[in-house]
Amino acid sequence: MLHIKRFLKKSPWVLHYNTGSCNGCDIEILACLSPRYDLERLGVLNTGNPKQADIFLVTGPLTHRCHDRLLQLYSQIPDPKVVVAVGSCTCTGGVFKDMYNVNNGIDSLIPVDVYVPGCASSPELIMDGIVKALEILEGK
Amino acid sequence: MKKTITIPLGSQHISLLEPVRFNFSCENEKITDVDYNVGFVHRGIEKACTEKFEYKQVGYVVARVCGLCAITHTMAYTLGIEHILNIKTNKKIDYLRILMLELDRIHSHLLCLAHTAENSGFEGMFMKIMGDRELVMDIQEAISGNRVQFDFVCIGGVNRDISTECEKLAFTNLALLDKKVDDLIGKFTSNWSTALKYKNIGALSYDDAFNFNALGPLARAAGAAIDVRAESSILPYKEVGYKMILGQNGDIYDRNLVRLKEIKNSILMCQNILSGLTEGEILVKFKGKPNGESFTRLEAPRGEIFYYLNANGTNMLQRVRIKTPTFSQIPGMVEIFKGSDYADAPAILASFDPCMSCTAK
Repeated sequence: MLHIKRFLKKSPWVLHYNTGSCNGCDIEILACLSPRYDLERLGVLNTGNPKQADIFLVTGPLTHRCHDRLLQLYSQIPDPKVVVAVGSCTCTGGVFKDMYNVNNGIDSLIPVDVYVPGCASSPELIMDGIVKALEILEGK
Repeated sequence: MKKTITIPLGSQHISLLEPVRFNFSCENEKITDVDYNVGFVHRGIEKACTEKFEYKQVGYVVARVCGLCAITHTMAYTLGIEHILNIKTNKKIDYLRILMLELDRIHSHLLCLAHTAENSGFEGMFMKIMGDRELVMDIQEAISGNRVQFDFVCIGGVNRDISTECEKLAFTNLALLDKKVDDLIGKFTSNWSTALKYKNIGALSYDDAFNFNALGPLARAAGAAIDVRAESSILPYKEVGYKMILGQNGDIYDRNLVRLKEIKNSILMCQNILSGLTEGEILVKFKGKPNGESFTRLEAPRGEIFYYLNANGTNMLQRVRIKTPTFSQIPGMVEIFKGSDYADAPAILASFDPCMSCTAK
């Protein structure tokens, strides 16, 4: 029998989607993949295909227009999957809270496993969040 | 018989940082028409600035329009409100503000170059440039306390002074970066994968730059001398060694080179500022509430940024209008896409350095 869960932890691929953030967290996610922080040593690879992803990195307070796209992407990722909300506005709405086109955080739509705070989240925090996500992924 | 096929790019795609949707109509390999949709990240910041936040808070809210040119947004707003409130800042404040604006420009340009390299399939170059970029991020973190959203500028001055250690770190890192940029200029002029392949690809002519309202590096790469830093004297750019950098052909190759040379110029400006910084107050006290209107123009990493403010003597502003560079450049982008190969589309897109958060607000 294949021990999928054991191997899953060794190469978790991430899918990144921006639901209306200011770009700050997105460039920090990009910085995480760069040599200084180097998430790839944990086996993490950035993918564009939801069907190959294990960890879903979401940034942004969820604008109305991104609503359906986020739901589609979430449902296309195969189980087991972990959702990491990166940034203050992704967790609660942050500075964008109660603006007319915003849903105050993504947990109003999809279940979130790890909340990463900060505006913008520093790469250290994002990596910490992904390491936590790996533990959750193993237990799922 | 040619048949038109439609290929979508986005709103979620590996080469995109932000959601934007393009629909390319292609005949064989050539793009014939482009349909675009840029409104995915619209949050309603302009409205919130007049209804939810007081004028003292708005500077920090407009920073969240865009993470890459956050300081430019705060800066443009602050200059506008200072004009209404009639606040005169001293030389030291002006210099510190230019210092952060230029550091921001360096990291934004480096990110754009890295992204262009990645989208043209040169992953190693992406890693190298992102590694070099950390030198600037370190300076920004040391000076302001945060890597990306540094709320450094406030009404009447700046929030933090530069310590001697920061200054030392900045000098070392800038000198290191200067050498690395020289090396990068060599690679971006001689290497096949990043440079020579992209000669005459995605070109915008000198006349089209004016016809389609191109701004920033997109216009300057085509030889059009459009730069607010040279046109306006709202910040003392001429004193710190600003130099206009122009390209010739307006293709991806030239855009990359213009960005690299601008980084060199920005490094020089930062070094000039740091070596000539005097002692002085970093915050000017002010009284009263804003009453009147102002127009502000400022050069963001991507081109001209425009703020219109209208206040009526209360804590709430009447109107905040933000016009961002990417928004004005969209007609030019569409023109460049027409006639290009579809395979080049991601690289062309990255070389525009589009910022959708700015565009949609």
